[in-house]
Amino acid sequence: MRPLDYIAPKDAKEAVDLLLENSDSSCPLAGGTDLIVDLKHNPGNITMLVDVSCIEEFRGIKEIEEGLKIGSMVTFGEIMSSELCQKYIPAVIEGAHTVGAVQTRNLGTVGGNLVTCVPSADSAPSLMVLESIVTIIGTDGYKSMPIEDFFIGPRKTILKSHELLVNILIPKKNLSKPSKFLKHGLRKGQALALVNAAASMYLNKSDIISEPKIALGAVAPTPLRALKAEAFLEGKKYSEEVINEAAEIAVSEAKPIDDFRSSAKYRCDIIRTFTKRVLIQSADQAKQKN
Amino acid sequence: MKVEITVNGEKKIADVSPETTLLKMLRDEFDLTGAKLGCDVGDCGTCTVVVDGESVNSCLMLAARASGSEVLTIEGLATFQKLHPVQQKFEDLGALQCGYCGPGMIMSAKNLLDKNKSPSVDEIRDALAGNLCRCTGYTKMIEAIQEAAKEINTTNAL
Ligand SMILES: Cc1cc2nc3c(=O)[nH]c(=O)nc-3n(C[C@@H](O)[C@@H](O)[C@H](O)COP(=O)(O)OP(=O)(O)OC[C@H]3O[C@@H](n4cnc5c(N)ncnc54)[C@H](O)[C@@H]3O)c2cc1C
Ligand code: FES
Ligand code: FES
Repeated sequence: MRPLDYIAPKDAKEAVDLLLENSDSSCPLAGGTDLIVDLKHNPGNITMLVDVSCIEEFRGIKEIEEGLKIGSMVTFGEIMSSELCQKYIPAVIEGAHTVGAVQTRNLGTVGGNLVTCVPSADSAPSLMVLESIVTIIGTDGYKSMPIEDFFIGPRKTILKSHELLVNILIPKKNLSKPSKFLKHGLRKGQALALVNAAASMYLNKSDIISEPKIALGAVAPTPLRALKAEAFLEGKKYSEEVINEAAEIAVSEAKPIDDFRSSAKYRCDIIRTFTKRVLIQSADQAKQKN
Repeated sequence: MKVEITVNGEKKIADVSPETTLLKMLRDEFDLTGAKLGCDVGDCGTCTVVVDGESVNSCLMLAARASGSEVLTIEGLATFQKLHPVQQKFEDLGALQCGYCGPGMIMSAKNLLDKNKSPSVDEIRDALAGNLCRCTGYTKMIEAIQEAAKEINTTNAL
């Protein structure tokens, strides 16, 4: 690696100031599982790393009045072993478990994953179907927004170069909501998703669907909510036909590409199958709760 | 910059440039050449070491970030008298061929057994997913890890 400076600021404000003062040459460092790989092969202008991984405000998983707050610098390993996550957001654990392998999950953070913003990011779909809110910090202080608004395009988020992701909030109303995440890669470990998918929904005693949410990854420039399929499902009575129709609508909403990992046509087949599976498995959980 | 860490129970200090990875520091500053450089991008796992109880790719972790941590490498497992049970069973069952993947594989296995006393085959596969071996078919490693688990459990029960 080329020579670099390394600074570990004590808090978010100091980090923002450092990044602003060195806006052409610095960037935040978290677990490094994307950044260090990039710096070895494609360093660009970066000559200074601002290590934000130990900033107290970005760490920890806490239950607060508004819901469950996950610090941006929480690793996938920490999510998997968190009792709060196991209790309230098992679909987020399912997503975390599919990232790379143990060693990468112990370094890689959920915040780094969202900021890298590849369409296949495995932390995104579950957080999206639970309508997560992200909070960022910049020179004007804090700002919060729905997670979908954070993603702008492939490898592009709403963050300016000196801004930082602080935390992710899963709203209280969605804690323990029936939900499911699945990923299809070429093998089980150490493979990026050809398609990943998550769903969440409630069913009432008469099997009427409410608040259905569907999110798909690696099928469009950013992780995608299948809003038309969701609107179709709202208020419908749960049945195989209804789920099949929703999956067909989800396929029509996705814009998968041909690449070296898979053809677009194959991705469409997987979207159909995986949308069905995550919906059915969410519904099964909802039935068990009734 | 100055990095102070505890490696295999011994306090160490090195003066390294900030871009130095933990792997490079272990190998070049401390002559601990057990952890290997394979892919250098997190895929192969031959650089696996345990930092504060969690296994990591030392090729992706800056030495600076490991400052103040406790690091365990393959050199910390055996004594002159006795191999670690995972090492012994790997030897007994012929679980390695060229051995290049070995240090990482064994550290992943050891870390698994520290957290899970009797892992299933699926749990072992999950724990080894980040360790590639180009020689063996993994089968004997999985058997060796199960044997090592049994041995550790019986020794602890005594
Ligand atoms: C072998 C391997 C396998 C992988 N497999 C998968 C996989 O299956 N699925 C998957 O989704 N990902 C996978 N990844 C990528 C995944 O590890 C990363 O996306 C990780 O989550 C990024 O987090 P990090 O903490 O390592 O971030 P870093 O690499 O440190 O940073 C990533 C980016 O985010 C920026 N950044 C970090 N923190 C902040 C912050 N708080 N605010 C603003 N910007 C910030 C950095 O400047 C950088 O641009 C894999 C990586 C490797 C090496
Ligand atoms: S050398 Fe670190 S994972 Fe391959
Ligand atoms: S024994 Fe040769 S790579 Fe595993």
